[in-house]
Amino acid sequence: MAFINYVIHLAILIGIYSIVTFSLNLAVGFTGLLNLGHVGFFGIGAYVSALLAVQGVSLWISIPLGALAAMVMGIILAMPTTRLKGDYLALATLGFTFILGSVARNWTDVTRGALGIPGIPKIVKGNTEFLFVVVVLAVVSYLAMWYISRSRFGLTCEAIRDDELAAKMLGKNTFAHKALMLGFSALFAGFAGGLFAHYITFIDPSIFGINDLILMFSMLIVGGLASVKGSAIGTIVLFLIPEPLRFIGFPSSVLGPMREMIFALILLLILIYRPKGLFGKVDFS
Amino acid sequence: MSIATQLILNGIIAGAIYALVASGFSLIYGVTKFMHFAHGAVLATGAYLLYTFAVMAGLNFWLAVVLAIMVTSLFGAVMNWVVYKPLRKIKASSAVLLIASIALMTFINAAVLAIWGADVKTVPTVNPVFDALGARVTFIQVIIIVVSILLLLALWWLMKCTKLGKAMRAVADNKEVAQTVGINPEKIYTYTFIIGSFLAGVAGVLIGIEQNLYPQMGVSLVIKGFTGAVIGSLASIPGAVLGSFILGLVENIGIWWLPSGYKDAIAFVLLFIFLLFKPSGLLGKKVREA
Amino acid sequence: MIRVKNLAKHFGGVYAVKDCSFDIKPGKITSVIGPNGAGKTTMFNLVCNIISADDGSVYFKKENITRLPTHKIARVGISRTFQQARLFKNLTVKENLTISRPCSEKEIRDVLEKVAFKLPIDTKGSALSYGQMRLLEIARALLHPHELLMLDEPTAGVNPSVRQELKKILKQLNKEGKTIMFIEHDMDFVMSISDEVIVMAEGRVLMRGTPKQVQKDKRVLEAYLGK
Repeated sequence: MAFINYVIHLAILIGIYSIVTFSLNLAVGFTGLLNLGHVGFFGIGAYVSALLAVQGVSLWISIPLGALAAMVMGIILAMPTTRLKGDYLALATLGFTFILGSVARNWTDVTRGALGIPGIPKIVKGNTEFLFVVVVLAVVSYLAMWYISRSRFGLTCEAIRDDELAAKMLGKNTFAHKALMLGFSALFAGFAGGLFAHYITFIDPSIFGINDLILMFSMLIVGGLASVKGSAIGTIVLFLIPEPLRFIGFPSSVLGPMREMIFALILLLILIYRPKGLFGKVDFS
Repeated sequence: MSIATQLILNGIIAGAIYALVASGFSLIYGVTKFMHFAHGAVLATGAYLLYTFAVMAGLNFWLAVVLAIMVTSLFGAVMNWVVYKPLRKIKASSAVLLIASIALMTFINAAVLAIWGADVKTVPTVNPVFDALGARVTFIQVIIIVVSILLLLALWWLMKCTKLGKAMRAVADNKEVAQTVGINPEKIYTYTFIIGSFLAGVAGVLIGIEQNLYPQMGVSLVIKGFTGAVIGSLASIPGAVLGSFILGLVENIGIWWLPSGYKDAIAFVLLFIFLLFKPSGLLGKKVREA
Repeated sequence: MIRVKNLAKHFGGVYAVKDCSFDIKPGKITSVIGPNGAGKTTMFNLVCNIISADDGSVYFKKENITRLPTHKIARVGISRTFQQARLFKNLTVKENLTISRPCSEKEIRDVLEKVAFKLPIDTKGSALSYGQMRLLEIARALLHPHELLMLDEPTAGVNPSVRQELKKILKQLNKEGKTIMFIEHDMDFVMSISDEVIVMAEGRVLMRGTPKQVQKDKRVLEAYLGK
């Protein structure tokens, strides 16, 4: 029985994080924006929805609002930053994540600071039912994101990734495309953040931490840039790989860091030995 | 009045530490053209090694300091060989190297956490307190300021006056041209990482003596360091040093108005403003945009 | 069609383009020639506002487009190619062609036939040879709605048979009423298809005239050989 519960728990996390990975792929893989602010969007979705829900707002409203807040943040962030190229964009988006973490820690009147927000209502009580909900929502999200990536809009974003100047010369407002795509990317990250908060029932400022960013990038790059299938499989692979450690019997104080070391190590190995990941369509430029 | 003096003095001390971090970071950035975030983890390693040698192994304090700095310098070079060199070989872009360096940083942080544990560590030292112009300053803080100024001058001399420094500047300016005059860039990268990590090791040791050790200490310090570097100019060491002192002062004077928890936020906002409006920094020449 | 007035751009202290003025008449093929460093490509980039002009102005059909963002310049009816072919290398041939606007299979077939592009339309951009890239880039520029076609060294790096092909294509397009302006180093190519030639040197328009006039002009030779 305990084992089944553990499998269900793992499956729920995989479902939530597969949305995160695909949404990160929208920005990084499909549009070529090296966005290191993704944990920020995830965290905004989680915080906004959790804060509203503990005030008694229905989850039907709070989760979408959290996702929308992330999207608005994504577009606002895009406005000044998508002019920046490559590593400067990465730095700016990373800085954005740190600012959010700092606000979450210090704006104690609202966020309770480092104490975090306990008692966040669950979407449904039982984990089996929760898994069902997550699977449905993940499938719907995948269809929506797949549609976005295959649309003319998505194709234009891919063209911008390959050669922004050539796209401009074909009359494309590349800035608007990038901003909107970062917005969509943030929307789904925020949505996943909301689901996460209403599953774990407790969040604190560590949600904006850099460790999760590495997990997200490992899943993305193991799966492969601009690959839909890759995002799903990358997520599954990354979640399963460290699990055997649980059964070897390491103390939990070592288990957490070891998981992080494994994620980082996988990311390094894949960058060096197979930079296109399992199903990657494009190179990291 | 003494509060103002105290804040300014705190700013200078913070600036001196950031300058040590930033100078190594921007030295490596200038020569290798990518952002070596794991620099922060190198620094934390220095601090933890000092703790290991001085407290756990009970070695003579000065021996422990020297050992910690030496091992840390080598550690940086090892990172370069094991991770960055293979990536350069497959012609990875600076974006890939940046991601790799963040992965490396989390790897080392997690390793530190697994090896030494999450609890805060201290290296006990004698630390008398002085009064200077109505402000409180400790012996170690004076040491920090003096050592960083001396080291930064030494670095400046190294870059300007030695053959190695010239070779490093040549590679920084144009790797291909440097190769045609017989400079081996990989060798220069190794030296660059050793020198940069040496600076990080010194910073780690100084911070390890003055403050508490915790596994994530490198992250916040490297962010401060590169924020300082961005403010001044990422690719220029004098710029990075200037930016670091500005950052230290702004942060510490800023808490006159804001709760001290916002110290970090002040740094990030400054970083953000500079990235957006003056990515070349105060002393930078070229704007790297578009 | 297009009118350039006193355009100027300097990098550091050096003027790449200075006091550059000319106009292009509709329905003509105009070529731009000049020694390396004469500012030809810079002038193209200034017209498209890919780099912003320090001084001067560009009018397209009487509308001042000098400060319009590049994508809006593309929308007023200017289509161009680049000195180094710029393709979307992870997209297929077909996707490359339809980025500008949705078009039918027939349109795609026709335009590929026109530029003598012979590979399957689901080939990825990165799999093309350099010559094929240039042809595809021209095809892409043709599908973009435009009145003025600007080509930057269309024959650079392509083999002689493709060169002949290009000559035919440009003549055919011109017959269909297209206004074409191109930068070129291949003098046979220039002289055989241009209605008018603009000679640039040191960032200025040195002279303009028919191919015959240009060939006879002493100043042109001097500009190439140095005084």
